[in-house]
Amino acid sequence: MSSMQTLTTPLVKENPVTLHVLGICSALAITNSLTSSLIMSVALTTVLIISNAAISAVRQYLPSSVRLLVQITIIASAVTVIDQFLSAFMPEAARTLSVYISLIVTNCIVLGRAEACAMKNGVGTSILDALGNGMGYSLILIIVATIRELLGNGTLMGYRLFELAHEGGWFQENALFLLAPSAFFIIGFLVWGVRIWKPEQKEKPDFEPISLPHGEERR
Amino acid sequence: MNKDSPRNALFAVLITALVCSSLVSAAVVVLRPIQLNNQMLDRSRNIMQLTGLLPGGQAVEDDEMLELYKSLDRRIIDIDTADFENEMDPGTFSKRRALTDPELSVAIPPDLDQASLGRRTRFAPVYMVWKENTLDRVILPVRGSGMWSMLYGYIALEPDLSTISGMTFYEQNETPGLGDQITHDHWLEQWQGRRIYDDSGSPRFRVSEGVVAPGSASAEFEVDALTGATVTGNAVTGLMHYWFGPHGYQDFLLALREQAPERPAQTSP
Repeated sequence: MSSMQTLTTPLVKENPVTLHVLGICSALAITNSLTSSLIMSVALTTVLIISNAAISAVRQYLPSSVRLLVQITIIASAVTVIDQFLSAFMPEAARTLSVYISLIVTNCIVLGRAEACAMKNGVGTSILDALGNGMGYSLILIIVATIRELLGNGTLMGYRLFELAHEGGWFQENALFLLAPSAFFIIGFLVWGVRIWKPEQKEKPDFEPISLPHGEERR
Repeated sequence: MNKDSPRNALFAVLITALVCSSLVSAAVVVLRPIQLNNQMLDRSRNIMQLTGLLPGGQAVEDDEMLELYKSLDRRIIDIDTADFENEMDPGTFSKRRALTDPELSVAIPPDLDQASLGRRTRFAPVYMVWKENTLDRVILPVRGSGMWSMLYGYIALEPDLSTISGMTFYEQNETPGLGDQITHDHWLEQWQGRRIYDDSGSPRFRVSEGVVAPGSASAEFEVDALTGATVTGNAVTGLMHYWFGPHGYQDFLLALREQAPERPAQTSP
Protein backbone atom coordinates (compact mmCIF):
# COMPACT_ATOMS: atom_id res chain seq x y z
CA MET A 1 0.00 0.00 0.00
CA SER A 2 1.41 3.40 -0.92
CA SER A 3 1.80 5.97 1.82
CA MET A 4 -0.98 8.07 0.31
CA GLN A 5 -3.28 5.07 0.54
CA THR A 6 -2.28 4.43 4.15
CA LEU A 7 -3.38 7.96 4.87
CA THR A 8 -6.66 8.00 2.94
CA THR A 9 -8.03 4.47 3.32
CA PRO A 10 -9.19 5.06 6.93
CA LEU A 11 -11.21 8.11 5.87
CA VAL A 12 -14.16 6.27 4.32
CA LYS A 13 -13.13 2.85 3.03
CA GLU A 14 -11.93 1.58 6.38
CA ASN A 15 -13.25 4.25 8.68
CA PRO A 16 -12.66 3.26 12.32
CA VAL A 17 -16.11 4.44 13.38
CA THR A 18 -18.42 3.46 10.53
CA LEU A 19 -16.72 0.22 9.42
CA HIS A 20 -15.00 -1.10 12.54
CA VAL A 21 -17.52 0.57 14.90
CA LEU A 22 -14.76 1.62 17.33
CA GLY A 23 -14.57 4.73 19.47
CA ILE A 24 -18.36 4.95 19.73
CA CYS A 25 -18.35 5.91 23.42
CA SER A 26 -16.71 9.29 22.92
CA ALA A 27 -18.58 9.82 19.63
CA LEU A 28 -21.80 9.68 21.66
CA ALA A 29 -20.61 11.62 24.66
CA ILE A 30 -18.98 14.78 23.40
CA THR A 31 -20.55 15.44 19.99
CA ASN A 32 -23.25 17.78 21.32
CA SER A 33 -20.89 20.67 20.69
CA LEU A 34 -18.62 21.18 17.70
CA THR A 35 -15.92 22.86 19.79
CA SER A 36 -15.48 19.91 22.14
CA SER A 37 -15.57 17.53 19.17
CA LEU A 38 -12.74 19.40 17.48
CA ILE A 39 -10.63 19.39 20.66
CA MET A 40 -11.40 15.71 21.17
CA SER A 41 -10.42 14.97 17.55
CA VAL A 42 -7.09 16.74 17.93
CA ALA A 43 -6.45 15.05 21.30
CA LEU A 44 -7.24 11.57 19.98
CA THR A 45 -5.18 12.05 16.81
CA THR A 46 -2.22 13.26 18.87
CA VAL A 47 -2.47 10.31 21.25
CA LEU A 48 -2.80 7.94 18.30
CA ILE A 49 0.31 9.33 16.61
CA ILE A 50 2.39 9.26 19.81
CA SER A 51 1.33 5.74 20.75
CA ASN A 52 1.65 4.31 17.24
CA ALA A 53 5.11 5.83 16.80
CA ALA A 54 6.36 4.71 20.22
CA ILE A 55 4.98 1.20 19.94
CA SER A 56 6.27 0.77 16.41
CA ALA A 57 9.72 1.92 17.53
CA VAL A 58 9.98 -0.68 20.30
CA ARG A 59 8.04 -3.48 18.57
CA GLN A 60 11.10 -5.61 17.88
CA TYR A 61 12.07 -5.70 21.54
CA LEU A 62 8.62 -6.43 22.87
CA PRO A 63 8.11 -9.95 24.23
CA SER A 64 4.67 -11.03 23.01
CA SER A 65 3.61 -12.15 26.50
CA VAL A 66 3.63 -8.58 27.84
CA ARG A 67 3.01 -6.61 24.67
CA LEU A 68 -0.55 -5.50 25.58
CA LEU A 69 0.67 -4.39 28.97
CA VAL A 70 3.41 -2.25 27.48
CA GLN A 71 1.09 -0.87 24.79
CA ILE A 72 -1.55 0.24 27.26
CA THR A 73 1.09 1.81 29.53
CA ILE A 74 2.40 3.86 26.62
CA ILE A 75 -1.13 4.88 25.59
CA ALA A 76 -2.12 5.81 29.14
CA SER A 77 1.01 7.93 29.59
CA ALA A 78 0.37 9.79 26.34
CA VAL A 79 -3.24 10.45 27.39
CA THR A 80 -2.22 11.69 30.85
CA VAL A 81 0.30 14.10 29.38
CA ILE A 82 -2.28 15.46 26.89
CA ASP A 83 -4.80 15.80 29.72
CA GLN A 84 -2.30 17.79 31.79
CA PHE A 85 -1.52 20.04 28.82
CA LEU A 86 -5.19 20.72 28.21
CA SER A 87 -5.89 21.64 31.83
CA ALA A 88 -2.88 23.98 31.81
CA PHE A 89 -3.43 25.75 28.51
CA MET A 90 -7.13 25.23 27.71
CA PRO A 91 -8.75 25.07 31.16
CA GLU A 92 -12.18 25.91 29.77
CA ALA A 93 -12.10 23.03 27.28
CA ALA A 94 -10.65 20.67 29.87
CA ARG A 95 -13.59 21.44 32.13
CA THR A 96 -16.20 20.77 29.45
CA LEU A 97 -14.56 17.54 28.31
CA SER A 98 -13.89 16.45 31.92
CA VAL A 99 -13.32 12.69 32.01
CA TYR A 100 -13.61 12.08 28.29
CA ILE A 101 -10.02 13.08 27.66
CA SER A 102 -8.74 10.53 30.19
CA LEU A 103 -11.13 8.01 28.65
CA ILE A 104 -9.16 8.13 25.40
CA VAL A 105 -7.15 5.34 27.07
CA THR A 106 -10.15 3.07 26.62
CA ASN A 107 -10.84 4.21 23.06
CA CYS A 108 -10.51 1.00 21.07
CA ILE A 109 -9.16 2.84 18.03
CA VAL A 110 -5.88 3.52 19.85
CA LEU A 111 -5.20 -0.02 21.04
CA GLY A 112 -6.68 -1.38 17.80
CA ARG A 113 -4.23 0.54 15.62
CA ALA A 114 -1.35 -0.39 17.93
CA GLU A 115 -2.10 -4.08 17.47
CA ALA A 116 -3.16 -3.98 13.83
CA CYS A 117 -0.56 -1.60 12.46
CA ALA A 118 2.19 -0.42 14.80
CA MET A 119 3.22 -3.94 15.84
CA LYS A 120 3.80 -4.92 12.21
CA ASN A 121 5.03 -1.79 10.45
CA GLY A 122 7.83 0.75 10.63
CA VAL A 123 7.58 4.07 12.41
CA GLY A 124 6.80 6.09 9.25
CA THR A 125 3.93 3.88 8.13
CA SER A 126 2.58 3.73 11.67
CA ILE A 127 2.50 7.51 11.97
CA LEU A 128 0.69 7.85 8.62
CA ASP A 129 -1.76 5.16 9.67
CA ALA A 130 -2.34 6.99 12.97
CA LEU A 131 -2.91 10.27 11.17
CA GLY A 132 -5.32 8.63 8.73
CA ASN A 133 -7.34 6.91 11.42
CA GLY A 134 -7.33 10.05 13.55
CA MET A 135 -8.75 11.98 10.59
CA GLY A 136 -11.31 9.26 9.89
CA TYR A 137 -12.51 9.47 13.48
CA SER A 138 -12.45 13.29 13.39
CA LEU A 139 -14.49 13.31 10.18
CA ILE A 140 -17.32 11.33 11.77
CA LEU A 141 -17.14 13.39 14.96
CA ILE A 142 -17.35 16.67 13.04
CA ILE A 143 -20.31 15.48 10.92
CA VAL A 144 -22.22 14.21 13.96
CA ALA A 145 -21.42 17.30 16.04
CA THR A 146 -22.42 19.71 13.28
CA ILE A 147 -25.83 18.04 12.95
CA ARG A 148 -26.35 17.79 16.70
CA GLU A 149 -25.31 21.28 17.68
CA LEU A 150 -27.18 22.91 14.81
CA LEU A 151 -30.47 21.07 15.32
CA GLY A 152 -30.23 20.88 19.10
CA ASN A 153 -29.19 24.42 19.81
CA GLY A 154 -29.17 26.41 16.57
CA THR A 155 -25.49 27.23 17.07
CA LEU A 156 -22.14 26.12 15.66
CA MET A 157 -19.08 26.42 17.91
CA GLY A 158 -21.20 28.66 20.08
CA TYR A 159 -22.10 31.12 17.28
CA ARG A 160 -25.82 31.51 16.79
CA LEU A 161 -26.85 30.62 13.24
CA PHE A 162 -30.56 29.98 13.72
CA GLU A 163 -32.63 32.37 15.81
CA LEU A 164 -34.56 30.39 18.40
CA ALA A 165 -38.36 30.53 18.36
CA HIS A 166 -38.69 31.48 22.03
CA GLU A 167 -36.26 34.35 21.48
CA GLY A 168 -38.27 35.73 18.60
CA GLY A 169 -36.68 33.77 15.74
CA TRP A 170 -38.03 30.96 13.60
CA PHE A 171 -36.07 27.90 14.71
CA GLN A 172 -37.63 25.38 17.07
CA GLU A 173 -34.68 23.55 18.63
CA ASN A 174 -34.92 19.81 19.30
CA ALA A 175 -33.40 18.96 22.67
CA LEU A 176 -33.16 15.29 21.72
CA PHE A 177 -30.15 16.19 19.59
CA LEU A 178 -28.31 17.35 22.69
CA LEU A 179 -28.75 13.94 24.33
CA ALA A 180 -26.48 10.98 23.60
CA PRO A 181 -29.11 8.76 21.89
CA SER A 182 -29.33 11.14 18.93
CA ALA A 183 -25.68 10.36 18.11
CA PHE A 184 -26.69 6.70 17.83
CA PHE A 185 -29.26 7.57 15.16
CA ILE A 186 -26.89 9.83 13.26
CA ILE A 187 -24.03 7.32 13.30
CA GLY A 188 -26.52 4.63 12.29
CA PHE A 189 -27.62 6.67 9.27
CA LEU A 190 -23.98 7.39 8.41
CA VAL A 191 -23.14 3.66 8.47
CA TRP A 192 -26.17 3.00 6.28
CA GLY A 193 -25.18 5.74 3.84
CA VAL A 194 -21.58 4.59 3.58
CA ARG A 195 -22.67 1.01 2.95
CA ILE A 196 -25.01 2.08 0.14
CA TRP A 197 -22.13 4.01 -1.41
CA LYS A 198 -19.62 1.18 -0.84
CA PRO A 199 -21.61 -2.07 -0.88
CA GLU A 200 -18.47 -4.16 -0.28
CA GLN A 201 -18.62 -2.99 3.36
CA LYS A 202 -21.86 -4.88 3.91
CA GLU A 203 -21.39 -7.82 6.22
CA LYS A 204 -22.62 -11.28 5.33
CA PRO A 205 -25.62 -12.28 7.45
CA ASP A 206 -24.64 -14.52 10.36
CA PHE A 207 -27.50 -16.90 9.59
CA GLU A 208 -29.35 -17.72 6.40
CA PRO A 209 -33.05 -17.31 7.14
CA ILE A 210 -34.77 -20.72 7.12
CA SER A 211 -36.92 -20.99 4.03
CA LEU A 212 -39.98 -23.13 4.56
CA PRO A 213 -41.42 -25.29 1.79
CA HIS A 214 -44.50 -23.80 0.18
CA GLY A 215 -47.83 -24.37 1.81
CA GLU A 216 -46.44 -25.60 5.13
CA GLU A 217 -47.57 -23.74 8.22
CA ARG A 218 -44.85 -22.61 10.61
CA ARG A 219 -45.32 -23.99 14.06
CA MET B 1 18.99 -14.28 23.29
CA ASN B 2 15.36 -15.36 23.45
CA LYS B 3 13.09 -12.30 23.18
CA ASP B 4 10.22 -14.07 24.95
CA SER B 5 12.08 -15.26 28.02
CA PRO B 6 10.55 -14.28 31.40
CA ARG B 7 13.65 -12.24 32.19
CA ASN B 8 13.24 -10.21 29.06
CA ALA B 9 9.53 -9.70 29.67
CA LEU B 10 10.27 -8.37 33.15
CA PHE B 11 12.97 -6.13 31.76
CA ALA B 12 10.69 -4.70 29.06
CA VAL B 13 7.95 -3.94 31.56
CA LEU B 14 10.37 -2.29 33.98
CA ILE B 15 11.90 -0.07 31.32
CA THR B 16 8.45 0.95 30.03
CA ALA B 17 7.22 1.75 33.51
CA LEU B 18 10.32 3.78 34.28
CA VAL B 19 10.30 5.81 31.06
CA CYS B 20 6.53 6.41 31.06
CA SER B 21 6.32 7.38 34.71
CA SER B 22 9.18 9.86 34.40
CA LEU B 23 7.51 11.46 31.36
CA VAL B 24 4.17 11.75 33.14
CA SER B 25 5.77 13.09 36.35
CA ALA B 26 7.77 15.63 34.39
CA ALA B 27 4.62 16.87 32.63
CA VAL B 28 2.74 17.13 35.93
CA VAL B 29 5.55 18.97 37.73
CA VAL B 30 6.20 21.41 34.89
CA LEU B 31 2.53 22.21 34.26
CA ARG B 32 1.42 22.38 37.91
CA PRO B 33 2.09 26.11 38.44
CA ILE B 34 0.10 27.00 35.32
CA GLN B 35 -2.78 24.79 36.41
CA LEU B 36 -2.78 26.29 39.90
CA ASN B 37 -2.85 29.77 38.39
CA ASN B 38 -5.83 28.72 36.22
CA GLN B 39 -7.62 27.42 39.31
CA MET B 40 -6.96 30.67 41.16
CA LEU B 41 -8.27 32.73 38.23
CA ASP B 42 -11.34 30.52 37.96
CA ARG B 43 -12.11 30.79 41.67
CA SER B 44 -11.65 34.56 41.68
CA ARG B 45 -13.87 34.88 38.61
CA ASN B 46 -16.55 32.79 40.31
CA ILE B 47 -16.46 35.08 43.34
CA MET B 48 -16.47 38.21 41.19
CA GLN B 49 -19.53 36.98 39.33
CA LEU B 50 -21.33 36.61 42.65
CA THR B 51 -20.50 40.17 43.67
CA GLY B 52 -22.38 41.57 40.69
CA LEU B 53 -19.52 44.05 40.24
CA LEU B 54 -18.35 42.67 36.91
CA PRO B 55 -19.67 44.72 34.00
CA GLY B 56 -22.32 42.54 32.36
CA GLY B 57 -22.56 41.63 28.71
CA GLN B 58 -18.86 41.71 27.93
CA ALA B 59 -15.91 39.49 28.67
CA VAL B 60 -13.63 40.89 31.34
CA GLU B 61 -9.91 40.29 30.94
CA ASP B 62 -8.17 38.28 33.66
CA ASP B 63 -6.02 41.20 34.81
CA GLU B 64 -8.94 43.57 35.19
CA MET B 65 -10.93 40.88 36.98
CA LEU B 66 -8.04 40.19 39.40
CA GLU B 67 -7.69 43.89 40.08
CA LEU B 68 -11.38 44.10 41.05
CA TYR B 69 -11.04 40.91 43.08
CA LYS B 70 -8.14 42.31 45.08
CA SER B 71 -10.09 45.44 45.92
CA LEU B 72 -12.89 43.40 47.52
CA ASP B 73 -13.46 43.76 51.26
CA ARG B 74 -12.21 40.36 52.34
CA ARG B 75 -12.30 39.40 56.00
CA ILE B 76 -11.73 36.39 58.19
CA ILE B 77 -14.48 35.36 60.57
CA ASP B 78 -14.32 33.09 63.59
CA ILE B 79 -17.28 30.79 63.02
CA ASP B 80 -17.56 29.66 66.66
CA THR B 81 -17.48 33.09 68.29
CA ALA B 82 -19.54 34.50 65.40
CA ASP B 83 -17.28 37.51 65.11
CA PHE B 84 -14.68 39.00 62.83
CA GLU B 85 -11.12 37.91 63.42
CA ASN B 86 -8.88 40.89 62.81
CA GLU B 87 -5.52 39.35 63.67
CA MET B 88 -5.27 37.12 60.63
CA ASP B 89 -4.26 38.21 57.17
CA PRO B 90 -7.07 37.37 54.72
CA GLY B 91 -4.57 37.45 51.88
CA THR B 92 -2.62 34.46 53.13
CA PHE B 93 -5.27 32.45 54.95
CA SER B 94 -5.76 29.05 53.33
CA LYS B 95 -8.83 27.00 54.18
CA ARG B 96 -7.26 23.77 52.99
CA ARG B 97 -4.11 24.25 55.06
CA ALA B 98 -6.12 25.28 58.11
CA LEU B 99 -8.24 22.15 57.82
CA THR B 100 -5.29 19.86 58.55
CA ASP B 101 -4.08 22.01 61.43
CA PRO B 102 -5.61 20.83 64.74
CA GLU B 103 -5.22 24.36 66.13
CA LEU B 104 -7.24 25.90 63.35
CA SER B 105 -9.98 23.31 62.86
CA VAL B 106 -12.65 21.57 64.93
CA ALA B 107 -14.46 18.26 64.69
CA ILE B 108 -18.11 18.46 63.71
CA PRO B 109 -20.57 16.65 66.02
CA PRO B 110 -21.86 13.66 64.01
CA ASP B 111 -25.53 14.57 64.52
CA LEU B 112 -24.93 17.99 62.98
CA ASP B 113 -22.70 16.82 60.16
CA GLN B 114 -25.26 16.90 57.31
CA ALA B 115 -22.52 17.64 54.78
CA SER B 116 -20.36 14.62 55.84
CA LEU B 117 -17.31 16.76 56.42
CA GLY B 118 -15.86 15.35 59.66
CA ARG B 119 -13.97 18.55 60.41
CA ARG B 120 -14.22 22.19 59.52
CA THR B 121 -11.92 25.14 59.93
CA ARG B 122 -12.56 27.49 62.84
CA PHE B 123 -12.13 30.44 60.51
CA ALA B 124 -13.57 31.24 57.14
CA PRO B 125 -12.93 34.00 54.63
CA VAL B 126 -15.97 36.09 53.78
CA TYR B 127 -16.41 38.84 51.23
CA MET B 128 -18.45 41.96 51.94
CA VAL B 129 -19.71 43.80 48.90
CA TRP B 130 -20.56 47.45 49.44
CA LYS B 131 -22.74 49.79 47.46
CA GLU B 132 -22.02 53.33 48.61
CA ASN B 133 -21.91 52.81 52.38
CA THR B 134 -24.51 50.08 52.75
CA LEU B 135 -23.89 46.38 52.66
CA ASP B 136 -25.01 44.96 49.30
CA ARG B 137 -23.98 41.33 49.46
CA VAL B 138 -22.16 38.89 51.72
CA ILE B 139 -20.31 36.00 50.10
CA LEU B 140 -19.58 32.85 52.11
CA PRO B 141 -17.65 29.69 51.21
CA VAL B 142 -19.44 26.33 51.55
CA ARG B 143 -18.42 22.74 50.90
CA GLY B 144 -19.84 19.26 51.28
CA SER B 145 -19.33 15.65 50.22
CA GLY B 146 -21.07 14.84 46.95
CA MET B 147 -21.44 11.51 45.20
CA TRP B 148 -17.74 11.11 44.34
CA SER B 149 -16.03 14.29 45.35
CA MET B 150 -15.95 17.28 47.65
CA LEU B 151 -18.12 20.10 46.32
CA TYR B 152 -16.62 23.56 46.83
CA GLY B 153 -18.75 26.61 46.30
CA TYR B 154 -19.54 30.16 47.24
CA ILE B 155 -22.93 31.59 48.02
CA ALA B 156 -23.90 35.25 47.93
CA LEU B 157 -26.60 36.62 50.23
CA GLU B 158 -28.67 39.77 50.03
CA PRO B 159 -28.43 42.26 52.93
CA ASP B 160 -31.34 40.49 54.71
CA LEU B 161 -28.83 37.59 55.09
CA SER B 162 -31.42 35.00 54.09
CA THR B 163 -32.23 35.66 50.44
CA ILE B 164 -29.77 34.11 47.98
CA SER B 165 -28.44 36.42 45.31
CA GLY B 166 -26.19 33.86 43.66
CA MET B 167 -24.52 30.47 43.98
CA THR B 168 -21.54 28.89 42.30
CA PHE B 169 -19.59 25.63 42.53
CA TYR B 170 -15.99 26.18 41.48
CA GLU B 171 -14.64 22.70 42.16
CA GLN B 172 -16.37 19.32 41.95
CA ASN B 173 -15.89 15.93 40.35
CA GLU B 174 -19.42 14.62 40.05
CA THR B 175 -20.63 12.33 37.26
CA PRO B 176 -20.29 14.14 33.92
CA GLY B 177 -23.71 14.84 32.43
CA LEU B 178 -25.55 14.04 35.68
CA GLY B 179 -24.10 15.38 38.93
CA ASP B 180 -22.06 18.05 37.20
CA GLN B 181 -25.32 19.81 36.35
CA ILE B 182 -24.74 21.67 39.64
CA THR B 183 -22.30 23.86 37.69
CA HIS B 184 -24.79 24.66 34.91
CA ASP B 185 -25.93 28.28 34.78
CA HIS B 186 -29.58 27.54 34.09
CA TRP B 187 -29.81 25.54 37.32
CA LEU B 188 -27.78 27.97 39.42
CA GLU B 189 -29.90 30.88 38.17
CA GLN B 190 -32.88 29.35 39.99
CA TRP B 191 -31.14 29.97 43.30
CA GLN B 192 -31.48 33.71 42.84
CA GLY B 193 -34.16 35.10 45.14
CA ARG B 194 -34.73 31.85 47.03
CA ARG B 195 -34.67 32.11 50.82
CA ILE B 196 -32.55 30.02 53.19
CA TYR B 197 -34.25 30.69 56.54
CA ASP B 198 -37.96 30.32 57.25
CA ASP B 199 -39.80 32.69 59.60
CA SER B 200 -38.72 30.72 62.69
CA GLY B 201 -35.10 31.28 61.68
CA SER B 202 -34.10 27.70 60.89
CA PRO B 203 -32.57 26.74 57.55
CA ARG B 204 -35.20 25.41 55.15
CA PHE B 205 -33.63 25.75 51.71
CA ARG B 206 -33.34 22.47 49.80
CA VAL B 207 -33.08 20.84 46.41
CA SER B 208 -36.57 19.58 45.63
CA GLU B 209 -37.51 16.04 44.58
CA GLY B 210 -38.93 17.20 41.29
CA VAL B 211 -39.80 20.43 39.58
CA VAL B 212 -40.69 23.15 42.06
CA ALA B 213 -44.40 23.97 41.78
CA PRO B 214 -44.65 27.74 41.44
CA GLY B 215 -46.83 29.25 44.13
CA SER B 216 -46.59 26.31 46.50
CA ALA B 217 -45.85 27.03 50.16
CA SER B 218 -42.23 25.87 49.91
CA ALA B 219 -41.48 27.28 46.44
CA GLU B 220 -39.40 30.14 47.78
CA PHE B 221 -37.14 27.71 49.64
CA GLU B 222 -36.55 25.20 46.83
CA VAL B 223 -34.80 24.71 43.51
CA ASP B 224 -35.55 21.99 40.93
CA ALA B 225 -34.16 18.48 41.37
CA LEU B 226 -31.34 17.33 39.09
CA THR B 227 -32.33 14.52 36.74
CA GLY B 228 -30.32 11.40 37.45
CA ALA B 229 -28.34 13.03 40.23
CA THR B 230 -30.36 12.48 43.41
CA VAL B 231 -27.25 11.85 45.52
CA THR B 232 -25.59 15.07 44.38
CA GLY B 233 -28.84 17.00 44.91
CA ASN B 234 -29.20 15.65 48.43
CA ALA B 235 -25.57 16.52 49.10
CA VAL B 236 -26.28 20.11 48.11
CA THR B 237 -29.28 20.18 50.47
CA GLY B 238 -27.06 18.71 53.19
CA LEU B 239 -24.31 21.25 52.79
CA MET B 240 -26.81 24.12 52.84
CA HIS B 241 -28.36 22.79 56.06
CA TYR B 242 -24.99 22.31 57.68
CA TRP B 243 -23.41 25.63 56.74
CA PHE B 244 -26.50 27.66 57.59
CA GLY B 245 -27.31 25.61 60.69
CA PRO B 246 -26.17 26.06 64.31
CA HIS B 247 -22.68 24.64 63.68
CA GLY B 248 -22.20 26.73 60.55
CA TYR B 249 -22.73 30.42 59.84
CA GLN B 250 -26.09 30.78 61.61
CA ASP B 251 -24.72 32.59 64.68
CA PHE B 252 -22.47 34.79 62.59
CA LEU B 253 -25.36 35.82 60.37
CA LEU B 254 -27.53 36.56 63.42
CA ALA B 255 -24.79 38.70 64.90
CA LEU B 256 -24.32 40.48 61.60
CA ARG B 257 -28.05 41.22 61.44
CA GLU B 258 -27.98 42.64 64.99
CA GLN B 259 -25.05 44.89 64.31
CA ALA B 260 -24.31 45.88 60.75
CA PRO B 261 -20.58 46.16 60.05
CA GLU B 262 -18.98 49.39 59.00
CA ARG B 263 -17.50 49.88 55.60
CA PRO B 264 -13.72 49.95 56.04
CA ALA B 265 -11.81 53.06 55.10
CA GLN B 266 -11.02 52.69 51.46
CA THR B 267 -7.42 52.16 50.57
CA SER B 268 -7.82 52.08 46.83
CA PRO B 269 -9.75 54.66 44.80
